[in-house]
Formats: sequence, C-alpha cells, structure tokens
Amino acid sequence: MTLLSVRDLVVRFQTHEATIHAVNGVSFEMAAGETLGLVCESGCGKSVTSLAITQLLPAPAGRIEGGEILLNGRSLLGLPEAEMRSIRGTEIAMVFQDPLTSLNPVMTIGNQLTEGILAHQDVTPAQARERAVELLGMVGIADGQKRLGTYPHQLSGGMRQRVMIAIALSLKPKLLIADEPTTALDVTIQAQMIDLIKELTAQAGTAALLITHDLGVVADMTQRTAVMYAGYIVETAATPELYARPRHPYTIGLLNSIARIDREPAALRPIEGSPPDGTHAPEGCPFAPRCAWRLPTCWRENPLLAADDPVAPVITTGPAASHLVACHNPATPDEVSAGRPLRQGFVAAPNPALAALNPALAVASAG
Amino acid sequence: MTAIARPDEGPIGPEVPIWQPTTDLSLRPPLSPRQLAWRRFRRNRLAMTSLVLVVALAVIAILASVIAPYSPTEVDLKAFGKPPSLSHILGSDRSGRDVLSRLMHGARVSLSVGVVAVGIYLAIGITLGSLAGYRRGWTDAIIGRVTDTVMAIPALLIILAVIPLIGRSPLNIMIVIGLLNWPAVTRLVRGEFLSLREREFTLAARGIGARDRRIILRHILPNVTGPLVVLASFGMAEAMIIEAGLSVLGLGIQPPDASWGGDLQAATDVGVLTQKPWLWMAPGAAIAIAVLSINFIGDGLRDALDPRATGVRR
Amino acid sequence: MLRFIARRLLIAVPILLGVTVLTFTFANIAPGDPISALVRPGSDVKPRDIEKLKEALGLNKPLPERYVNWLGQVVQGNLGAELVGGGSIAKALAKRVPNTIKLMGTALTISVVLGVLLGILSAFRQHSKLDNAMTVVVISGISLPPYLLAILAIYFLAVVPFQLFGIKLLPAGGQVDPVSTLPPIIDELWHLILPALVLAFAGTATFLRYTRASVLEVMHRDFVTTARSKGLREQTVRLRHILRNALLPVVTVLGLSMPSLIVGAIFVETLFSWPGIGQYAIESTREHDYAAIMGVGLLTSTAIVVANLVTDVAYAFVDPRIRIR
Repeated sequence: MTLLSVRDLVVRFQTHEATIHAVNGVSFEMAAGETLGLVCESGCGKSVTSLAITQLLPAPAGRIEGGEILLNGRSLLGLPEAEMRSIRGTEIAMVFQDPLTSLNPVMTIGNQLTEGILAHQDVTPAQARERAVELLGMVGIADGQKRLGTYPHQLSGGMRQRVMIAIALSLKPKLLIADEPTTALDVTIQAQMIDLIKELTAQAGTAALLITHDLGVVADMTQRTAVMYAGYIVETAATPELYARPRHPYTIGLLNSIARIDREPAALRPIEGSPPDGTHAPEGCPFAPRCAWRLPTCWRENPLLAADDPVAPVITTGPAASHLVACHNPATPDEVSAGRPLRQGFVAAPNPALAALNPALAVASAG
Repeated sequence: MTAIARPDEGPIGPEVPIWQPTTDLSLRPPLSPRQLAWRRFRRNRLAMTSLVLVVALAVIAILASVIAPYSPTEVDLKAFGKPPSLSHILGSDRSGRDVLSRLMHGARVSLSVGVVAVGIYLAIGITLGSLAGYRRGWTDAIIGRVTDTVMAIPALLIILAVIPLIGRSPLNIMIVIGLLNWPAVTRLVRGEFLSLREREFTLAARGIGARDRRIILRHILPNVTGPLVVLASFGMAEAMIIEAGLSVLGLGIQPPDASWGGDLQAATDVGVLTQKPWLWMAPGAAIAIAVLSINFIGDGLRDALDPRATGVRR
Repeated sequence: MLRFIARRLLIAVPILLGVTVLTFTFANIAPGDPISALVRPGSDVKPRDIEKLKEALGLNKPLPERYVNWLGQVVQGNLGAELVGGGSIAKALAKRVPNTIKLMGTALTISVVLGVLLGILSAFRQHSKLDNAMTVVVISGISLPPYLLAILAIYFLAVVPFQLFGIKLLPAGGQVDPVSTLPPIIDELWHLILPALVLAFAGTATFLRYTRASVLEVMHRDFVTTARSKGLREQTVRLRHILRNALLPVVTVLGLSMPSLIVGAIFVETLFSWPGIGQYAIESTREHDYAAIMGVGLLTSTAIVVANLVTDVAYAFVDPRIRIR
C-alpha cells in the first residue's frame, strides 16, 4: 500500500539575487514501513524535498511551484494550515542534521519531549512526562526521569540526537524523515544512530525516508535508494540492485568516491567539478558538464527517468522495485567497474593535469 | 536561456578535457563581492537618495563662499530678525545676518567635523585594534582594559571638561571628538583580527614567509573594510550630532561664526522659539537631514555589504 | 555561573579603577585647585598660608600618593568641593540624582516596553508596511539628536497649542509649577511627560532594532523548524520557541544603552530645566568647574559599569546555557 506519493514536485527559492531551482520535478513513492534513501552531494535538493513534504520550507523565499504530495491518498498541498499541523508530528515526523541547533537551547528536553505529546494527545502533563521517560528509555537513555530536567547543552552530541529521535517517534508517526541524521556526529556514534533508527522504525512499522550524501549509510539502512542530482532523481532501484548494477554516470561517480575496505585506496576517484548552483533554468542534462559519458544530445535534452528494462511492468515501491535511470548513455557493467567509458570515441582517461588537482582546493581558490 | 556553455558538440576527443569548471556554466562573468554590494546598495532607494543629498551638501559646503548669497557674518541693517522674504530666502537672524548663507557655511563646519573626527578615531582605532588582535597577550589585555575604560565614561562629559581648557575652535572640537570615540573601532578591528588571523589565507601567507606588517596590511585589513565603512558612516553622523549639541548648549562654536548647532541655539531663547521659528527650524532641519542621510547610507551599506548581518551580539 | 559572575566582576574592577585614574588626572591637569576654590578672589592671603593649607590638604605629596588618598575619600562618598562656591559635590549630586533617576527610569521603561513590542511586531511582519515604517523610526531615533527633539517637542506640544488655542497642553520645562493647583505628585508627573518622551525616543529605537534583529535571527534557526515539525500551533512556536530565545539577549541591551541614555539626559535636563545631574554637569561646565564635572563623570561611569555588570549577571540567570554548566 502506498503511504507517500510525491509527483513532479517543483520547488523554487526566490532570493534577491536570483531564482534557485531547487527541485525540478521529483517523483517517488514509498510503501508503508518501507525505507528509502535519498542520496546526493549537498545542494542537490534533497533537504528541500523533505521540507516540502511537511510544508516547512522557509517562507516566503521557498515555494512549491508544482506537483503533488499525497499521504495515504490525501493531497497535502493546499491543506489548511490547521490540518497540516495535525499531520506534522503524528503522521510525519522529522529528525534533522545537527541535534545541537535542532533543539531549543533554553528549554529542558523534558518540555521539548512533552510539548508535542500535549499538543496532539489528550493527556495530562504527568502522563506526558511518563511517556517521555519511556521514550528516552526506548532510545537508550536510561535515567530518563533525571534527564527530563536537563538542557540540550548538558548532553553529548549522540545523546542529543537520541533525544531528537525520541521526539520524532513520540507520536508513533507513519513516516520518519531523517535529514542527514549522522552527519554532525562523531564517526563512532554514527553507526549506533543508524542502528537505532533502523531498529525503532522496523519495530513500529514506521516508514523511513533517509536523506544523506553518504552511500555507506544508505547501504546499511535502506531497502530502496533514489539518487538525486541538481533537483532531479537520476536513478532509483532497490538498494542491493543499485549497488550491484549502477547505470547513471553520477551514481557510478558517487560509488567510486567512497572509501571501501575491500578496495585499493588508489581506486578512490572523486567526481570532478561541482553541482550547478541552480540559478539557471535547467536545459539539457544537468550532469553533462561533469559527465564522461555524455553525448551531443545531452547538452540539449534532459533525459527522463525511465525503466532500465523497457518490457517489464514498472514497480514503484518495495524490494522488487524497478530500476529506473535518467540517462541518454547509461554505463555498461564493465564500465562501472572501470569507472569510465570504455567504448570507442570517448576519452581514455580524465585529463591527468586536472585529475591531479584536488577539487576541494580548486573550489576554495575560486571562492 | 542559453546559459550552458557548449564547448564541444561531438563525442569527446582525447585532447578535450572532460572536466569543465562550473563557472563556465554561466555566460555572465561572476560578480565580485564589491560589485554585488554596489548592486544591492543601488537598489536601496532610501540609501541612494541619501547619497545624492550628502553629495549635494558636500558640494554646497565646498562652494559655500561662491554660491551663498551673502557672507555669513554680513549684517543687513534693514533686516533684523525678519521672516523669509525675497531678499533673504530663509529669513535673517536678530543681528541681520542671512540664515541661508549661514546654513551653507555651517555645512562646512558640520561635514568637516564629521570627516576629521572619524578620520582621527579610525586611525587610532585601527592601530590599537590591529595591535591587540594581532599581538594578543599582554598588548591585547592592556589595550582591552583601556578601551573598556574609555567606553565606560560618557564621552560627552570628558568633552565638556576639556573644551573650556583648550578652547572652542572647530579644529579643537574635531580633535576631542576624534580622540574619544575610537573604542568601538578598536573592538571591531580586534574582533575581526582574532577571527581572521587563524583563517587559511593568513596561515598560508605566514607559511610562505610574509612579514607581520605585510600580513596586516595586505591580508587582514582589506577584510575589515566593509564593517569599518559602515561604522565610519554612523560615527560621522554621531560626531556631527555631538558638535552641534555642544553649540546648542552654548559650549561649542558660537555666533557670529556660522555653524548649525550655534544657530539652533537660538531656540533656547523663548522669544526666538515662540516668535521667530524660521531662525531655529532651518538649522534644525539641516542637522536632521544631514544626519539622517548619512545614517541611511550607513544602513544601506551594512545591508549591501553583508545581507545576513543582523547586528545581534551573542 | 559563579565563575561567570566572578569573571565579570574581575573585568569591572579594573575598568572602575581606570575611570578613577582618568578622572583624577583630568581634575589635576585642569587649572584651579581646591585652594583657589577656598580662597576668595581679592582676599588677602599670604603665599605661606597657601603652602600650609596645601600641606594640610595633602596637596604637596607626590601624585600617586594623592591619588590613593583621593580614592580613599571617593570610596567614602567624598567627591571633594566644587571649585565655584566650594559646596560639597557629593551633596549636590545626592540632591539631583533622584530627579535624574525619575527621568531616566521613566524613559527607559517607555523605551523597553515600546521598543520590544514594536520590534517583535516588526520582525513577525518583516517587509510589511509596519516593518518599513519601523525602519524609519529606528533610523530617526538614532539620527535625531535629543536636543533637536526637545526643541521640537517644546515648540509643537507646549508652545503651539498655547499660541493657537490657548491650551496649556504640557509644560515646556521645569520640575514643578509653584502656582499649580494640582497635587504635587500629579504636577511633577505632568512636567515629566515631555522630557521623558523625548529621552525615550532614542532608546525605543535601540530596543526596537535589537529586538527585531534578534527575533529575525532566531526565527530561522533549526529548532524553530523542529518545533513546527512537531505540529505545534504557530502561536506556541512563536512564544515558546522564538521569543523565549530572542528576548534573552535583549536583557544585555539594558546595560549597553546606559551611556547614550546618560548623554541624552544631559541635553534633555538642560533644555527642559529638569534639575538632575545632567543639568548640573552643564552648569558646572559653564562655570569651568572641572571638579564638579569629574564628579558627574565618576558617578555616571560607575553607574554604567554597574549597570553592565547587573545586566550580565541577570542574563546569566535567565540563560540556562550559562546558569547550568
């Protein structure tokens, strides 16, 4: 059963300087209890997508300009604010990147835990506190009763994120949106946090939309993955399928740029260049400037997301979901392992002079 | 929109580099921060109007002796305290001097007090702030305490005590105001230094063996220019307010010498206040317009130089 | 928390010492000393007697020693004698301080209430007509000097109503009207309205600007999005999350606005003939009484340092990030 359905979502930001095309027609579906990873480098529109779903885009700059968002078949766009409010927290809950800035610094975590419960459920403050202690126990904070009176700055980073997760799950939502939930944490705590989210959502049957730039995190936690680039979904498939048989050059680049124990460090290959800043209306394939596989047509036509296997029926959710890719010239399996095109007419290797440049340095000196 | 560059149309040949820098995606050359700031400033109508007004005031001040219809001290025996008329557009004061001409010459005093006072305290503030922020340690501690102390005493009280000692000439007033208002500049420069000195480019400069003086002048100070310009414009307005205020209290420049504050002092006389409003309304309006314009420019500059700045100390 | 207060105290003490050194230096480089104040011009005093007097007063000792002695006197509340008239500076100040506190207290209250309220409204309606109008109010508050406002207020709210309609709307100056039929308290309040409003204008602008900036900044913080994602009412998000965070630092502005409040009071008291310490400072200046001016300087500087100390400590009390380490 489809829990969430996002169709052709378009989000733009209006700043003094320019219009930012943040999300340019994104479609995906999630079944109840499913875990979906939404992956790309920063600035690709993944966080904006999550804020658009809950309609918490920073007003008045960010606006949903088109598309549909359905939760259990009900359209969320255009819902009166009061009804949208009754959905937030109870049906869709969110965990954000930095638990320090995401918690109110001058409110005890007890009050921050109970305020959502008190706003949505007919309970006494005492009952809400009881529930808060329970929730803290659930996320692995033992002396909950004592912790209720503490302030965020008194907790460690990992503890704070546990509190955030407890807040998000306090009303047993159907969908948990976790926006880079581990990025701001120490590496040692990241795995714990992923396990915690995985375990708790599985227990409660909560669907989880995990937004991250880290393919490693996605592999650990999700059933299905969608890769975004410049406000488009460029490839989506069941997670094992995507890792085994990536087709889009960007996905291949992402996979090649993560360090893996089973590979030589020399095989680590960053994607050169950086994503477009979104100030121009997209024309052609947005990845073309960075793409080794590009064809002349890539400059003109933005490829549509289409099934890799044109004959089979398209399945949008679940572990058997179809492999969809938006590319005029997808990579062949042997090119995937090589990380570059091997066919006639394509350059043999990236310009060695450019490859020697650390892209981070290039960006720093340009800025 | 044809924003995307098309360096090649066919499959890429071996000689064509694959990676195209993303700046090539735009045909428009990227604007420098200064150009961006100027663009934002130009869009601020209030600030632009104020800029025009201040430039006009400066021109009037410079050309006062040429364009003023009368000498500021010239006495018209037929016009003692007469309201505005054809011969005296803004009227004449009780000694028969032309109000408009006095305003034009008064602009000289006000604007030069503003410029000189700000110049003095920028010089002191930048020097002390750079020293404190760059050397740190004892230098910083001492300068910090002195700055806190000077900040704790209302500058006006010291000016009040000093002016009778050194005399009330415009130059003395400028110097005293300049000597007392540097703490804000010192704090700003010091703060910026502390945050900038650890940043990569300073480290890089030191890494290649640049000397302290060079690092301060070439690498750090240019980064403080924006906030300093804003502070200087507000400081200029404040200096003009203090100077005119001293004259209003009868402790600054006094008639027959032309100054806006000195002419505004006429309002402290009940007869002038109630019966001859043109005598004090004109200099009052001049002070208000000049100070408002300069502050609007400062406000516009702040918005333009740092669109995210909110002015909140945390 | 205790460490925070201790650190603030440690900062305040050297500042106060610095203020006394500066004051002492100024009072001593200025021409005229307590002797010439005691000795009436034209009186027949021999140089030898002056020397004796100097010795008695400790004026022939080296400056540092004199400073310590002077500081001892100051701590006991003895600010020395007026150069003109020879009266006790401390006594003159003590008589006037209550008046200044009445004026500044009223003005500060108006500024805080009005400035904070308008600042909140302005921030929540950013870019609205109200917000644009508030921007103009803020710049005017910073730009229009208190003396100009005072003159305008006297003319338009006291002189013009009387000239045109014969109404004594508000008094143009003074603290009490000797021939008034009103009860003394009402009469004094009546006289307080205009100067307090004029003095409050700049402060209102300061608090408005600071509150607005602070609310705008907090409005875009992550925890506000968290609060909204819980499905809280907008009103709850604003009161409990935005305002509680945004208004905490405004406490410190109370201390920061003291210097400009005092400078404003000097002008307002003089122009409205309000018998406070500001008027005293100007009267002393006109009489070249450096000792008296320095007395005012010492008093106001101490008030500023103490006000900053108090607001910092108050801030530490209300912000749990400092209160609980």
